Amino acid sequence: MPDTPAESQRKPIPERFQVAKATLRFDTFMGYAIQVGGVAIIVAVFGILAFILAQVLPLFGKAEVTERRAVPGETAPSPTATSSPAIGLDEWAELPFSFSGGDAVTFTDLKGERGTFTLPVEIPGEAKISTFAYNPAGNRLEIGTSDGRVGSATISYTAEFTDGIRTIVPTIEVGKFHKVGSERTPVEAIGYGASDSKQLYAALVGGKLHVVTLKEKRGLFGKGKVTKDLELDLSDKLTSPPDRLLVAKDGRGIMAISRKAGSIDYLYLNGGEFTLRQTVHPFADREDTKSIARADFLFGDVSLVTSSTSGALRIFSLFRPEGQSDRIFGQTKAFPDLPSGTTFFVPSLRNKAFLTGTGNTVGLYYATTGAVRWSDDLPFETRSAAIDGKFKTIALADTTGTVHLLNLDDHHPEAGAKAFFGKIWYEGANKPEYTWASTGGSGDFEVKLSMMPLIFGSLKGTIYALLFAIPIALLAAIYTSQFLNWKIKRVIKPTMEIMASLPSVVLGFIGALWLAPVLETKVPSVLLLCLGLPSAAALIGWAWNQLPVEKRCKLKPGYEFLVFVPILIFLAYAFWNLGPVLERICFTVPDPLTGKPISDFRVWWPEVTGTPFEQRNSLVVGFVMGFAVIPIIFTIAEDALSNVPPALIAGSSALGASRWQVVRTVVLPIASAGIFSALMIGFGRAVGETMIMVMATGNTPVMEWNIFNGMRTLAANIAVELPEAPKGSTHFRALFLGALLLFLFTFVLNTLAELLRHRLRERYKLV
Amino acid sequence: MLDPSYIKIQDFSFWYGAKKALHGINMDIPESQITALIGPSGCGKSTLLRNMNRMNDLIDGVRHEGDITLDGTSLYDPTVEVISLRKRVGMVFQKYNPFAKTIYENVVFSLRVAGRNSKKELDETVERSLKGAALWDEVKDRLHESAFSLSGGQMQRLCIARAIANRPQILLMDEPCAALDPIATLKIEELMLKLKEEFTIVIVTHNMQQAMRCSDKTAFFYLGKLIEFNDTKSIFETPKEAQTEEYISGRFS
Ligand SMILES: Nc1ncnc2c1ncn2[C@@H]1O[C@H](COP(=O)(O)OP(=O)(O)OP(=O)(O)O)[C@@H](O)[C@H]1O
Ligand SMILES: [Mg+2]
Repeated sequence: MPDTPAESQRKPIPERFQVAKATLRFDTFMGYAIQVGGVAIIVAVFGILAFILAQVLPLFGKAEVTERRAVPGETAPSPTATSSPAIGLDEWAELPFSFSGGDAVTFTDLKGERGTFTLPVEIPGEAKISTFAYNPAGNRLEIGTSDGRVGSATISYTAEFTDGIRTIVPTIEVGKFHKVGSERTPVEAIGYGASDSKQLYAALVGGKLHVVTLKEKRGLFGKGKVTKDLELDLSDKLTSPPDRLLVAKDGRGIMAISRKAGSIDYLYLNGGEFTLRQTVHPFADREDTKSIARADFLFGDVSLVTSSTSGALRIFSLFRPEGQSDRIFGQTKAFPDLPSGTTFFVPSLRNKAFLTGTGNTVGLYYATTGAVRWSDDLPFETRSAAIDGKFKTIALADTTGTVHLLNLDDHHPEAGAKAFFGKIWYEGANKPEYTWASTGGSGDFEVKLSMMPLIFGSLKGTIYALLFAIPIALLAAIYTSQFLNWKIKRVIKPTMEIMASLPSVVLGFIGALWLAPVLETKVPSVLLLCLGLPSAAALIGWAWNQLPVEKRCKLKPGYEFLVFVPILIFLAYAFWNLGPVLERICFTVPDPLTGKPISDFRVWWPEVTGTPFEQRNSLVVGFVMGFAVIPIIFTIAEDALSNVPPALIAGSSALGASRWQVVRTVVLPIASAGIFSALMIGFGRAVGETMIMVMATGNTPVMEWNIFNGMRTLAANIAVELPEAPKGSTHFRALFLGALLLFLFTFVLNTLAELLRHRLRERYKLV
Repeated sequence: MLDPSYIKIQDFSFWYGAKKALHGINMDIPESQITALIGPSGCGKSTLLRNMNRMNDLIDGVRHEGDITLDGTSLYDPTVEVISLRKRVGMVFQKYNPFAKTIYENVVFSLRVAGRNSKKELDETVERSLKGAALWDEVKDRLHESAFSLSGGQMQRLCIARAIANRPQILLMDEPCAALDPIATLKIEELMLKLKEEFTIVIVTHNMQQAMRCSDKTAFFYLGKLIEFNDTKSIFETPKEAQTEEYISGRFS
């Protein structure tokens, strides 16, 4: 049996074969350090993604509605033909009121001990209320009386503090009443609208449509006396007898709704006279029924929400058809059918949402996006509804008079996939379109959050920049690495690298304040340069080769530019100064103002193409961004080209390939992967570039390829608007959605590019 | 009558930057013969060879003095078209350098860049060249595979095939058999002997037997200087210089 040598008998390993402990320790340490660094980067990237996602995801949620409490009240009478019971909420949603046409408004104290109490609506004279309409904007009750007068009552809430406890005190202020028509017959329907100086009542008395306009004399001390201005009988202008009236808030448009006939007559006040501008038949195309259950103005009074008696729900908005000057109504949205015609309607005063329903069905809808935010079958039948000013509480009054208060949890009603990516027919637009307009002047402004113009802008800016940058950068890289004398190359490369480090804000500044004004008047010159210089270069190259070898050989290879550059500079100068001549020959049009012929490209372009010409346009962006991108593409591509093994260049040269053939057949394929990376990095830079875009474009989110107007990119949009967007608002989150798109865009593109690059590298890898 | 000074090297010195690699070489290379350049590593054989078709133009910062004439005209005459010069003077490099293309495309590269694309001519050229380089039997069924799928020795022969495809007048071969087995080496030597009738061949080799077997003239270089240049027979049998004798008998230090 062979002896196994004991541990101690083994020969020790000579010292020169041993690895020093320090080396091993350092090795292990570096291994871990690299791992930690790598993992940290991945975590950071995913962390950013997670953060952005967390900002964006709430945009795609639905509304949540939960029961808060129910307060029993008086049974309200069922709605009459012309007025349905109204409920309203105060600012704090503590003291809802209800009114069903009696002589008092019922208030219910939800917080304190006042319980249910009423305040009278005191109408001057002996009359009763025969009809009323409630307008949540301004908390006004427009009232028509049984003796043919019209007026209004305003419900207002004031908060009083005693010992730090808030009590809300309601008051009802009844305004002046005005006689309409000559008879003392009851008013059947009423509508009211007012602009700064004018008020308008439309009233249906004895089947006739009467209109009263009131003028307010402005005294020295604020409000003056209100006097009757006009009184008209418009019945003969209508196509069918109305039973309900709406007046737009500017006091110029009257909608006379005939429910049975299923038509709405749109009367418009123009030059002191009402004309019938349009008769809308909202459900003319429906098989089941054409009659209207309800029609109400959405907040802003330019859209009508109509419901057929069979439950169809459609929105008609004012728009100006192409080629016409008058605004008329057209169907812009349709919602899923309800079980039957709606019985109540209330618009939100904060956005374009509205609450409507029939029987037990209630739904919260968003007009702009055509989305159903929330819809439910409740255990009670709703008679009337209210939404508070903060869009946080819904009040529903049922048939027993019980007021149900519901919590409304809908932070981003205007958001949703359709809002961001779909074509939407906005109020006032004449067709569905992609629009970004996140903030507007007035309170009833419709936010437009389409990402499409921004995505388009990013692409447009990038494409114009790359169109300019890629040819120059790649040709320069090929020339420098393969053709230029090595002594000059040593200078060029670092110079370009310095150019790459120019801050983009400086470039943007130069572009906006110097280049844009210069280019504005010199478009024909630029055109000549862009076409002329490359062809001139090609021509010179050809001519050079036609020269006898004895002449050509005077210049050493790599120094040819000494001849070319001066010629090109001269030509550039010539082209630049020939621009105005070209302008006179090709770009003369009659001046739209004076009719005299004028040679100005800025006039010619819009005249001939119908697209605008702006000073800060894509051309400027193309040039300036090009300057930001060229050095990057150049340096990386040049590296890739210079790293092609000299042995292969020598090999192909030895086989009689010309310099260009060497480049084309050997150098370019091998460097293709590197050139591709250069392009991708240039692309990434262009897509994400912000400052140049902010400064050198007009930042108008248009969707046109027109090179002579600007664009708004995703990145610029974030830079411009984020400071103004309240944190957590839809606007804020929509900006983050833009960031996410940018992120995904570059991510997907880079992944694709990486795959392609990998394939190129595999294909041309060297032994 | 064959020209005994077909390639004439006169007082030729060459610098890589500040480093002088060749010192005043004078040498007449005869037409239609095989001239072998021998000498220890780093003595400037490849440098001289690369100068014969101006391959060194591709290297930055080089400089030369003296002249090389080919058939009476100077290579450095400014009116010389380098491209056509290189078509005339083919070259096989010390390190094989196939392109990232198929075997077929590698062989016909010189025809393609000359704009000759007729299928028949290309096919014939491929077969003739590959047979000449003793590679045909090994690759005839895989002509359209990547050249990188070949072994080192096969690539070496592919580069030889590529160099003779366009039938240059002069063929410069820098250690063409360094990566080859004895049988392939013999085949290349056979090829050289056959080509000799048409071509003038200059070969760099570290293999004394090879130089002896196939060259007509041999030049011995040492430290950038031409030590001895004579008929192969005389060099190997009766070397005049002591250094030459030491080198060829392997006693070189
Ligand atoms: N591209 C270069 N740049 C600088 N020096 C070079 C270059 N190529 C060669 N040399 C130098 O020139 C000298 C001659 O080199 P060369 O390649 O001609 O030698 P060689 O005789 O072919 O050697 P080997 O037998 O090892 O191939 C060497 O000293 C080498 O260091
Ligand atoms: Mg060598």
